Amino acid sequence: MPLIELAKIGKIYPVGNQQVTALADLNLRFEQGEFTVLAGPSGSGKTTVLNLIGGLDQPTSGSVVIAGRSTGKSSPAELAEFRLNHIGFVFQSYNLIPVLSAAENVEFPLMLQRLPKTERRRRISTLFQQLSIAGLENRKPNDLSGGQQQRVAVARAIATRPTVVLADEPTANLDSQTAADLLTLMRQLNATENTTFIFSSHDPQVINCARRVITLKDGRLQSDMQQTP
Amino acid sequence: MMLTLALRNLWRNRRRTLLTLSAMVVSVSLLILALGVFSGMIQDMLASATEQYRGHLVVSRSGYQDDHNLFATFHLSAELRQQIASDPQIVGLSPRLRAFGLLAHGLNTRPAELLGMAPSQERQVTRLQQLLVSGSYPAEGKSGALVGRGLASRLGVVPGDELVFVTQAADGSIGNDLLQVSGIFATGNSRQDNQLVLVSLPWLQELMVLPGQVHELALALHDPLLAGQAAARLDPLLPQGLDALAWGELLPEMQEAIASYDVTRLIMASILYFATGLGILNTLFMSVMERSREFGILMALGMSPWRIRGLVLLETLLMSVLALAVGLALGLAMTFYMARVGIDLSGTLSPITYAGGTILPRLHAVFVPANLVTPALLLLLVTLLAGWLPANRAAGLQPVTALRED
Repeated sequence: MPLIELAKIGKIYPVGNQQVTALADLNLRFEQGEFTVLAGPSGSGKTTVLNLIGGLDQPTSGSVVIAGRSTGKSSPAELAEFRLNHIGFVFQSYNLIPVLSAAENVEFPLMLQRLPKTERRRRISTLFQQLSIAGLENRKPNDLSGGQQQRVAVARAIATRPTVVLADEPTANLDSQTAADLLTLMRQLNATENTTFIFSSHDPQVINCARRVITLKDGRLQSDMQQTP
Repeated sequence: MMLTLALRNLWRNRRRTLLTLSAMVVSVSLLILALGVFSGMIQDMLASATEQYRGHLVVSRSGYQDDHNLFATFHLSAELRQQIASDPQIVGLSPRLRAFGLLAHGLNTRPAELLGMAPSQERQVTRLQQLLVSGSYPAEGKSGALVGRGLASRLGVVPGDELVFVTQAADGSIGNDLLQVSGIFATGNSRQDNQLVLVSLPWLQELMVLPGQVHELALALHDPLLAGQAAARLDPLLPQGLDALAWGELLPEMQEAIASYDVTRLIMASILYFATGLGILNTLFMSVMERSREFGILMALGMSPWRIRGLVLLETLLMSVLALAVGLALGLAMTFYMARVGIDLSGTLSPITYAGGTILPRLHAVFVPANLVTPALLLLLVTLLAGWLPANRAAGLQPVTALRED
């Protein structure tokens, strides 16, 4: 059984008086430990797919099943619980909580998981070392560079030990060296922790380092290829 | 960390938070002060009605308080007195005899009400001795008279002058005798100041040919507001034909005035807190709208709608607790000042007699626990109610929509 299965997914957004089709009849499967990129031009439906997998949005038709569980039948509270324990998000614009320090941003979902304080501190310390941001724990997001903020966001996404990390254009706001470092880091995490990574990106640097590239166009599957990074 | 997050969220827009807090502090402190002054006014009115003349509770023959029948007297035995005095609420007893007649000084004659009393016992029930404007309180066993200022003015008497009192005695004879003015009092109550004269009880008993008889036993209580309960306890102890009447039965209009105070208090608090509640609602809605994207992030991290709701309500609760701490301290300080110093308005206002009591021309407050507890609980309630709508809005956001907000 695949880790994630999207079956006959359709997503239609109302825009004013019109209906815009974001996804149409999309079928996708993802296995545990994949390192996959959803590629395609803007408006192709990449982010919508990530939102559906992450339970942030619901499909208009079809079903999303993750680890044997259909997200369509869940209440908002159940979806929140699902995201807390199974999904890690990395956003294009980092989306750190501005009033919390770097360490507190990472600690917040761990606190929601009700982990003991010592375990939370241990994970934060390990991740900050691993992501080369040790020493920045007490800085607020505004006092960090874009690359540092994105590393904190990655630390927050993987701290809860999720089943899958969904990264929406994670390198879009980073310079090429910082982006390369971040991708190397994610590859390492994928290799060592067997964490599943699904990216959305049209950055060739990201596409080139993935083992599987799914290309979408106008909400439909254009290609699905395996490659050697 | 929820507490940290809530506190920092409040502090991120300091000016707005401080403005809202100021409105809450002003509301709660002003309400505490206003209620304290209201209570002071009511206490003054009740004291003027009961502690200047009637007493908190009166034992008399049935119907006497309606018709003041000269013959509705009773003998106050030592045993009955002991029984009444044993009630823990009672702090003073004063037996009284009342007579109506004419007082004359020179060519001036005026109708008057003479209240025969024993000075040392009357002092336990009324506080006319504190309201002397000249002369002194009658000494025990002497036939001195304490005259109201209005009456003294109309008769043209000062302490030391002689008065002639003429009345009909209980045996049908004309009773008359001389009195010497020992002092003049002013209560602010026009009826008492223009008619009342306090005289020695034995002197009046002899003049009225009612030896050993009294019309009433006036009682003072620890808490005047418990007079109804005390009357209900005393009634079964009294011989047939005698009633214990609380001030509320003697002065029904005063009872109504106090009841209307409760309604006024509620209306005042409602208006003040309605305005405050709208201010809080506005602030919290603004705060929630501005943070829609952050709520989306929190939801993406796995925070449940109930926790989002709880976070906004926690922010609301923190604001109200902070406002309460400052507001209670400020309200207490202002009430303390008004209790100790007050504001004297006698230069511009005269005492007003209303509902059997006197509203004195002064603003002074009293400490009543309910005047602190009520505004505090109401503010807490209003704040949480005002916070509920924005909290619900935050909790009801769609994560994907919220994340798209700027």
